Amino acid sequence: MENEYTILGERMKRTDSLAKVTGAATFTADIKLPRMLSAKVLRSPHAHARILNIDTGRAEKLPGVKAVVTAADAHGVKWGVFKYTQDHPMLAMDKVRYIGEDVAGVAAVDEETALRALDLITVEYEPLPAVFNPDDAMAEGAPLIHEEYANNINIHVHIDVGDVDAAFNQAHLVREDTFEAAGEAYSTLEPYAVVASYANGFLDLWMPNAGPHVRAKALSNMLKMPLNKVRVRHINVGGHFGARSEVSPGDLVAALLSIKTGRPVKLALTREENAACTRQIHDIKATIKTGVKKDGTITAKDFRVTYDGGAYSSTGPIATSIPYYVYEEAYRFPNVRYNGYRVITNKGIRGMYGAHGRAFLCGNEVQLDMIAQELGMDPMEIRLKNGLKVGEETATKSVIISGGLEAPIRQAAEKARWAKKRIGLPEGEGIGMGCVAIMCGFPMGFRSGSTCYVKINDDGQATIVSGIVDTGMGNESMAVQIASEVLGIPPEDINLVNADTEVTNLDPGAYSQAASFVGGNAVKRACEEAKRQILTLAAAKMDHAMEDLTIKDRTIVSRTDPSKRMPLRWVVREAFFKGEPIAATGAYMPKISFDREWIKNPQGQMAGTYSFGCSIAEVTVDRETGKICIPRFTAAHDCGNPINTMAVEGQIEGSIQQAGVAVLTEENRWSDGWLLNPDLLEYKVPLACDMPEIDTVIVRSNDPEGPFGAKEGGLTTRMNAYSAVACAAHSALGVPLKQLPLTPDRVLKALDKAKGGDA
Amino acid sequence: MISSEFKYICPKSIEEALERFGEFQGEAVYLSGGTDLVPRMKLGLKKPRAVIDLKDVASMSTVAEEGDYIRIGSLAQLFQLKQTDLVSNRFPALAASLEATSCETLQVRGTIGGNLLQNTRCLFYNQSEFWRRSKGFCLKMGGEKCNAVPGAKKCFANYTSDNAPALCTLQAEVAFAGPNGSRRFKLESLYTGRSDDPFDLEPGEILTDIFVPNKTVAGGYEKLRVRGAVDYPLLGVAFSRGSDSGRLAVGAVGPRPYTVELNEPAQDAMGEAVATVINQVKTVENTVLESAYRKRMIPVLAERLIKKVMEGAE
Repeated sequence: MENEYTILGERMKRTDSLAKVTGAATFTADIKLPRMLSAKVLRSPHAHARILNIDTGRAEKLPGVKAVVTAADAHGVKWGVFKYTQDHPMLAMDKVRYIGEDVAGVAAVDEETALRALDLITVEYEPLPAVFNPDDAMAEGAPLIHEEYANNINIHVHIDVGDVDAAFNQAHLVREDTFEAAGEAYSTLEPYAVVASYANGFLDLWMPNAGPHVRAKALSNMLKMPLNKVRVRHINVGGHFGARSEVSPGDLVAALLSIKTGRPVKLALTREENAACTRQIHDIKATIKTGVKKDGTITAKDFRVTYDGGAYSSTGPIATSIPYYVYEEAYRFPNVRYNGYRVITNKGIRGMYGAHGRAFLCGNEVQLDMIAQELGMDPMEIRLKNGLKVGEETATKSVIISGGLEAPIRQAAEKARWAKKRIGLPEGEGIGMGCVAIMCGFPMGFRSGSTCYVKINDDGQATIVSGIVDTGMGNESMAVQIASEVLGIPPEDINLVNADTEVTNLDPGAYSQAASFVGGNAVKRACEEAKRQILTLAAAKMDHAMEDLTIKDRTIVSRTDPSKRMPLRWVVREAFFKGEPIAATGAYMPKISFDREWIKNPQGQMAGTYSFGCSIAEVTVDRETGKICIPRFTAAHDCGNPINTMAVEGQIEGSIQQAGVAVLTEENRWSDGWLLNPDLLEYKVPLACDMPEIDTVIVRSNDPEGPFGAKEGGLTTRMNAYSAVACAAHSALGVPLKQLPLTPDRVLKALDKAKGGDA
Repeated sequence: MISSEFKYICPKSIEEALERFGEFQGEAVYLSGGTDLVPRMKLGLKKPRAVIDLKDVASMSTVAEEGDYIRIGSLAQLFQLKQTDLVSNRFPALAASLEATSCETLQVRGTIGGNLLQNTRCLFYNQSEFWRRSKGFCLKMGGEKCNAVPGAKKCFANYTSDNAPALCTLQAEVAFAGPNGSRRFKLESLYTGRSDDPFDLEPGEILTDIFVPNKTVAGGYEKLRVRGAVDYPLLGVAFSRGSDSGRLAVGAVGPRPYTVELNEPAQDAMGEAVATVINQVKTVENTVLESAYRKRMIPVLAERLIKKVMEGAE
């Protein structure tokens, strides 16, 4: 099929690539402002302790120290994404709840002085008993970490659809299995950094963030400053994956220090601080019970999932829900019960993750293979049988408007030659399939939509102003590519101004897979309105029917008579003469249910649309060493229609690394409350040499709502790649591996256990 | 960031280096490639008053035949060394261990001397100062107890050189220059057997050369690690086979490589040799893979390696 578009869908070189690969791009830690101070944070050495006294006097007297802040300088406002989860003071008040928690901040003329000052702060603690895993934390008599959470249960998400127990009674086959996964680290290449600059009543901030508006709102609350006085500015972000979703303790520390000194303050965390003292990912334990008919139709699911939430709520209700939703968005569950418990422990804070929920999602998919095996079915067939189709509703009443699971399954299977390979696999080799579907955006109240402004400048070039946030995935380039397509001008003629709270309007941000679908739609609409204004004027000027005109390569041209043409800039200048410069606004609000609430009302339309994906991994397993290798990986992702084909492929490839290969290697390891591998040496992010040969398959479902049919660009792979690998390992060994990651020692243990006959 | 202050010194000769070391009464360190020392200084594990960079001591980076030995200068870069014909043709065990060391980017910085004299490692030791202070200092930091094995009065950090086991199988010798003169001894004698203080050296001694007997020896190296590059070994097994005997060395599972001789590199002898090693090894939970697993892999990797070398040699 010939591309009906000029640049849309092309393998466009991303607008940020050159600066990033040459090192010219600046990140927060690169910022240098006049009179800027360096900040350091004093952290809790205790997993759980009462703070009896903090004495900062000696630190304040150290030459070169300009300010010291503690909770006493803050306003006692605790952070939480929701009103009912506001439990995190960001600078410890009465208690510390994890090792590394922020207790005091120092601003000094240089980093060395700030570090020396930390040693001069005396904190008297009364150590309290601590708990380090959900089972201990929920036990009777366990120390209570927050008064308000009985049994340390922070969040309980309860979903109950149909009659689960009756369905189990009637099922042909019922299986129950428990899977566990260690939490991961985000491992963003950029360690956290923040620059705060307070002057003339305004607080300017730069930090890696996924949503400047929500960041400014949180800080305006905590600092008790009017929202318009807190300005979060645009800066390049070196990776996110969920890590930069929320306000971070460092934001408050740097802001307070800047306000106190009246000077800009930079706080740049070390790699170890970034790992242990910013957010990490939940350890998860999932018990999954599934009932099926003889033909493999799933009739009931019952889930009990516990999430080790660390010390504070963070994105609690969302993190406790998402693994379930991305699964019910893929498969038909007539009867389903989900009990998700997020439990507070004395470990570092945990948030959402792009590859969130691997114990739950791998567990479901591996169990589905076990069921298929018992029924004598092909794992592909059981997925096809239960996969959702267009027009169907999920268990909690979200309608699927495009895609469906069948196309990605079939296209991945064809590319990987599933049918041929699955039969007669040699000893030690396996092939497995993992599926998921992902919401493109979720309800965030009035922040669920996005707005874009466009102005056409007197040289015919355009400035577009959008709230779209780019944390490394190419969203900025995506906005430019859409604008270029609509406006008929090349990408280099477009200046994007984005993610700056003073200039740009609200946007859902880079966390709910909404950027293309919601933000991209707003850009498209704004540009279409600008184009309409241009063509209206051109039609009069050229004395030609507007319907026959379009813009191509900076020129207004007739669709039918190529000789009829006029440079775009002539039209733009005419508009200025007329006192009606070309300027337009476009906005998009997805069709979602705003009554939906994560705990109180978990039903209704979750998102405007859903992407679907299927991954197929081929593995070899060494039965003597337990080592799993992934020679080949195929991922099919339904992105609706790719805006930048190369960028979508890049997202899929990155997802295979971060989920598919990482499921063999990545885990946070703990000794009580101490993180044992806070560095990139012992936290095992897969390397280039560990990567498989990759086939990416872009599935097109041409979404009726998405801009040019587009949906999100690659997250399904991030949430099903690990399932494909776990299923492939199961297929190779005939033994389910229920402990993740699939390190060789765990694999051998599972084999030993199976030999012992109690698998 | 290295937060401690130190003087940087760049002498032109070994004599000058020794002299400068003396000025700091034991509070100086020698720097070669820095891939071990610099991270240790960043973590505050080492806070020397002076860093003496040996990079300008030119005599220490050459590789040459010297009578019955090949002399390898201690500053020879790992990346160049693995591509040196003398090494790759005659000592496949060493070539394989060099290839397995970290990644090429770091092989370009690292030196063979630095690799041999790298400090022992433990998940409870190679941590930031904040981490170690909050946990309480362990034995290797001058504390009273081991943090990896609660209650233990002994340190269990692992010596994770990839090249030391290979060189042990090749019966390499090491030459040091020191304030009290030069000496040369078998590499195996370099080690104290104590994880908290792994090298039997006098203060200020500089490793100048490694001498490997000049005869072609079949051999190889097998490394257990989580990823395909970068990682330190969680277990390293080297094997070299001469005309009538073989030597097996096992590294990264204790304070030194464990070397055993196989008079007859056949199945029975191999089992015995491996058993000899295993009896000496005590792995604990101080790496990213389970200790029992690492120990269990000793015979697996050893058998595979010996089989591969024997098949290749036939």
